[in-house]
Parts: sequence; C-alpha cells; structure tokens
Amino acid sequence: MANVEIKKVVKKYGPVEVIHGVDLSVHENEFIVLVGPSGCGKSTLLRMVAGLETLSGGEISIGDRVVNNVSPKDRNVAMVFQNYALYPHMTVRENMGFSLKMRKKSKEEQNERVMEAARILELEPYLERKPSELSGGQRQRVAMGRAMVRKPDVFLFDEPLSNLDAQLRTQMRMELRKMHMRLKTTTIYVTHDQIEAMTLADRIVILKDGYIQQVGTPIEVFEKPNNVFVAKFIGNPPMNILEGVCNVIDGKRFVVIGKTRFPIQDGVAAEIVDGSPVLAGIRPDSIKMGQNVERLPKDWWCHGEVVVSEILGAHSLLEIIIDGENDLLAEVEGRIVAHPGETVRIGFEFDRMVLFDPETKMALY
Amino acid sequence: MREASRDRLKAFLTLLPSIILIGIFVYGFIGNTVWISMTDWGGDGALALEPTMNFVGLANYSDLFTGFLSSGFRQDLVNAVYYSIMLLVGAIGLGMFIAILLDQKPKGEDILRTIFLYPMALSFIVSGTIWRWLLAPQGGVNVLPTYVGLPPLTFQWTSSTKAILEFNWQNLIQIFLYIASFALILVGLWILKNNQKRAVKYWLGPGIIVGLIAWFGGGLFPEALFMEETHGFNLATLGIIMATIWQYSGYTMALYLAGFHGISQDLRDAAMLDGASNASYYRHVAIPMLKPITISAVIILSHISLKMFDLIFAMTGPDNAQTGHPALNMYMTTFRANDFARGAAIAIVLFMVAAMFIVPYVVSQYRQRTKG
Repeated sequence: MANVEIKKVVKKYGPVEVIHGVDLSVHENEFIVLVGPSGCGKSTLLRMVAGLETLSGGEISIGDRVVNNVSPKDRNVAMVFQNYALYPHMTVRENMGFSLKMRKKSKEEQNERVMEAARILELEPYLERKPSELSGGQRQRVAMGRAMVRKPDVFLFDEPLSNLDAQLRTQMRMELRKMHMRLKTTTIYVTHDQIEAMTLADRIVILKDGYIQQVGTPIEVFEKPNNVFVAKFIGNPPMNILEGVCNVIDGKRFVVIGKTRFPIQDGVAAEIVDGSPVLAGIRPDSIKMGQNVERLPKDWWCHGEVVVSEILGAHSLLEIIIDGENDLLAEVEGRIVAHPGETVRIGFEFDRMVLFDPETKMALY
Repeated sequence: MREASRDRLKAFLTLLPSIILIGIFVYGFIGNTVWISMTDWGGDGALALEPTMNFVGLANYSDLFTGFLSSGFRQDLVNAVYYSIMLLVGAIGLGMFIAILLDQKPKGEDILRTIFLYPMALSFIVSGTIWRWLLAPQGGVNVLPTYVGLPPLTFQWTSSTKAILEFNWQNLIQIFLYIASFALILVGLWILKNNQKRAVKYWLGPGIIVGLIAWFGGGLFPEALFMEETHGFNLATLGIIMATIWQYSGYTMALYLAGFHGISQDLRDAAMLDGASNASYYRHVAIPMLKPITISAVIILSHISLKMFDLIFAMTGPDNAQTGHPALNMYMTTFRANDFARGAAIAIVLFMVAAMFIVPYVVSQYRQRTKG
C-alpha cells in the first residue's frame, strides 16, 4: 500500500492539451473517486498513473518513488477495466494467476493466492471456466480477483461497473466497498456516475475539461460545492440555480428573484451587499413538504403550484412554480402525494442554500 | 405447417440447380476419377474414340506405392511432405514475425504492409522465373558474397543432387507407425493440461503402445519393396521452398496483422500491467488468441503446397527428378504419357492427402458452429 502524489501533471496530444497541471494527493489506504463528464480527462489521468500514457509534464510518484519513467509492470499497480479485459483463451484460474506467472512466482504460491482471491470473491466453482462461460457480474469479479492476487500498492478502476445492469451495479458497488474495507489498498476509481462516486469514495475529485474543480468528501462536495459546475454535477436531481439580486430589506439580506425572496443567513458571503447580482443554489432535497415543513422557521415557508409530479416510491420529484414565475425541482418524501395544478405549502432549508458569483460561477461562503 | 413445408419446397427448388451442378461437376467427376483410377486406361490406344478400359481394382495404387518403376512418384510424394512442412513452418513463422514487427506501429506501416503483401499478387510463373534467375548457379544469390570481397557460394539451389533425412521405403509400415505414435503423443501432451485422464487413455497410452510396436516389431512387418530404396529431403527443393515462403509469408502476415489489430488495446494494457513483457504478451496472450487464424493458415498453406504446380514448372522444369511434385507427376503421366488411369490414381492420392488436412478442420468448424 502506498500514497500517490500527482504534481502539476500535464497531458498533451500533439498541440492539444487535455490535462492542465493537475495536483492531487491520494493518501495511503484511501479510496479516491475521479468523476466528471465524458472527455474531462479522468481516464487519461488514471492511465497516466498506471503508466499506460506518458506524461507531457509534471510528476507522478507512488510511495516514495517517482514513476514517470517506470514501465507499467514495474509500478506494482493493478487495474480493472471497463470491459474487464480478461484473456478469453484462459480459464478463470489462469486469468487470475497470469500476473503471478509473469512474475515467476512458484506454482504453490500462484495456486494459494488464486484460491484465496477466489474464496473471497466466491469464484471457486468457476475456476476452470473460460470468461465466455461467465455472466457479466462473474467476469467483473474475475477482473477484480486478477487485480487482488497481485497484492498491489494501488488499485486502479476504470469505470468497472458501467457494463452491468442497474441491480448488479448496486450489488457490485457494495462488494467493492467491502473489498476496500477488507484490503485497505489505496484505490483510484474513475466513473462518470456520481452515485458511484458518492457511495464509494473517501474523497471525490471532480474534473472538468482537464481541470480539477473540487476535491472533498462526498458530503463536502454535496453540501459545499466550489462552483456551479460541481453543484449541478453532484446530486441527482441537480441543484436548482436561480438568478437574482441581493437586496437589504429591514437590515436583512435577501436574494430577490422577481417576487420571490430567499433570506441570506447572517455571516454567509459577507461580500454580497445590496444590489449585488447573485446565483442562489437550492438542493431539491432541501425543499420540504407536509409535516416536514413544520420543523422549519415560519418565514422559510411559502406556497407553490405543482406542475409535474414523478412518484418514485421512496421519494417523489416535483416541479413547483413559486410566486407564479420561479421554477424549482423538489425531492420530497414518497408518501406525500401532490397532483399537478395543486397548490401546496413548501418550506426551504435556507441554511443549506449556496450562493454563487454569477460571473465567476464560484461559490461564496 | 403447410406454410412451412411450402417454404422448404421453395428453398429446395432454389438450391436444386446448384446441387445438380456441384453433384455432376464436382462429386460426379471425383467419382469418375476414382473409377478411372481403378482401370487400365492408358498406353497404346488410350486416345482412341472408344478406348478399352478394364477394371483392375487397386492395382494402380499398389503399383504407385510398391511398384519397382514408381520410385519417381514416391520421391515426389516425399518431396511434397517435406515441402508442405517447410512451407508451413517458414511462411507462418516469417509471416507472424513480420506481423509482430508491424504491430509495433513503425512509421510507414501501411507502405511496408503493401510491400510485404505484394509478392502474393504475382503469378507463380512470374515469381518462379524471377527466383530461377536469382538462384542460378553462377548469378543472383550465389554471387552476393563477392560484393563484400568473399568467395561466391557454390550451392546448386535448384539442381543439387544431395539429400538429407533419408529413410528406406522398405520400412514404410514402420515409418507410418512411428508417425502415428508421434502424432498421438503430441495430441496427448497438448490436452494433458486440460484433461489428464482423457489424454492418457486415448492419446498418450495408445501413442506409446504404437511406438513400442514399431520399435520392437520392426522386423516382423512385411516390407513394402523387395529391394532397398532410399528417399529423403532433396536439397534442390530448398530454392522452391524459399520462393514459396517469399510469396506466401506476406499473406500470413496480413492474416496475423489483422488478428493482432483486432485484439483490444485494453487486453494489451492488462497484460502489460500484469507484468508481461512485449515478447510474453505475444507468447501468452496474442498468439494463443489467434489460434483460429493459425489453423486457417495451416489449412490454406497445406493445400496450396499439395497443389503446387506452376512455381516448380517455372523454376526447375516439369521433369526434374530432384524437385518433382505429385501434381506435376500427375500432369506428365496423364497428358504426356497418356497413362490416364495412373494419373487418376495420383490425383486421388493427392485428394486423400488434402482431405486429411481439410476434413478435421471442417468437422471442428461445424461442431463449433452447432455448439455456439
């Protein structure tokens, strides 16, 4: 197990720079998730750590060793690929033992380590099968087993769950988490799925266009996003962002959006003064309905008209118009039924409202 | 139900012309050749309007393998076997090697690929003529060393009379048993890892027993001939083998290169991360994955080598005893000597040898398809 230091790493393909001086410290035993939309450079960054892509600038070290010029096989990292990348002509046992064979480990050691991994991953009945005779989930487990037998310093995962169906994905997510709790190997995990990021990560790294947008624990990036991009990318449904102006009324600051007024908490974003344009970010789950409204201060209540309601069981998604002009998405408890056209009482957790600068799109705390 | 049987009838009627044509022109003619090979059609009056043809059973075949005057055919057959083995090893080995080099994505890969594949586009007569010049005793390859001040080579590429790996045709049965034993043991070792019981019971055990019978019972087998007759690998065929390898290695290269390009980059990356060097990637991952390509190449090249005619005709002429080939022999016997029955027998022998390669391939392909 080792820490990974990424310092000012740049990647260029010809004249095009795709990663622009990224800095990141992955601590020992940590589970880091790199998340971002397609083309943000997350897979490229992972492949640079693996040694499968060269660096155009900067430095990557694993443990105490700078690995810029170390070949992939000598970095002691193991990678799980999106399409599993199992050797189709080898049995599960041979697939899992291949790296040990290449490292000239004794037959006994190979067998012992493969059996140990197979036991943990419940693959023992399938050891003599070829990958083509396995289901998607089993193949995924073989890919993980192949990485495990190596006992690597760092695990690298490149969207390993995206080829699985939704149910299996949830199950494998749990297993991955359990595996990390058991092995405690430093892990860098790439995904575009923010639910995977939230559920698996010790810390999440959000990337966009080759720049790191924010690094933080799942709760930090959810509650305290650095900018509008993170606010919209993390969380499903995304944060409501409303454009307004700060007005001081009776000595208190409000974000005024047409007829709507959102109170700004004292001590928050002192730089916002009367007349400053501002973006107000409200998480859909910070909008409450029914009994839950009662817990909120009365001046955080208002009424809104339901436009569309989607009942998802555990919770419902509602599109609500307040003051006849501002559209908001609310995520409320599933038992609360609201019909389109109905006027309902809602309450806002304004202490969770995030303000952003409309020009820089950066959060103001 | 009715609809289905009408569909079947339509399908049958659509296929009927092809079935009739193939039935007559392929299988009918094969049958006719088999029939002719069992007659005595030939010699004087062979070209008469209504030649006399008497049924003689397997006499022509027996004469080819054991007749005193058929030593030439036997050498041709031995040549064909050595020729096939060397062509397979050479063309597949060289083709694979070039494909691995080109798979490293050198600059100008496209041009190099075309250059290597180009000999394939030439007719055998053209390449045979070129190689005949190149391998002339006092020119071409033999004078190359003189450019760096060395004495010229003296090897007679296409007319050497030396032979190596000789054996006595009298011991034909023993030799066949050795070959069978070798093949059984080879297959046994191949499947030993996957299925130990089956390998020992069906392959290794019988292989060893056959080998022991051949070893100890050598003196007991009837001899194929009443006198000693040695056959071996004639060094004069080396030139022809070189020319064929030159012509076909580009083709196997194209097959392998397409296969290598078809392997996903992730698999290569996974192998690199698993600690495989470039060489072990090809040895343990890429080449085993391309087993179907290797099998196809073996089938295609082996039946090409069994049918080889024009290249040998162009390089050493039709009646060079050292470099003869059964296909040439068949042509000469049939159309120069007018010995039609004997020519037909040679044709059927060639057909059977080719079938030995192709039938197992077709059966395994069919099984795979029905399995899949």
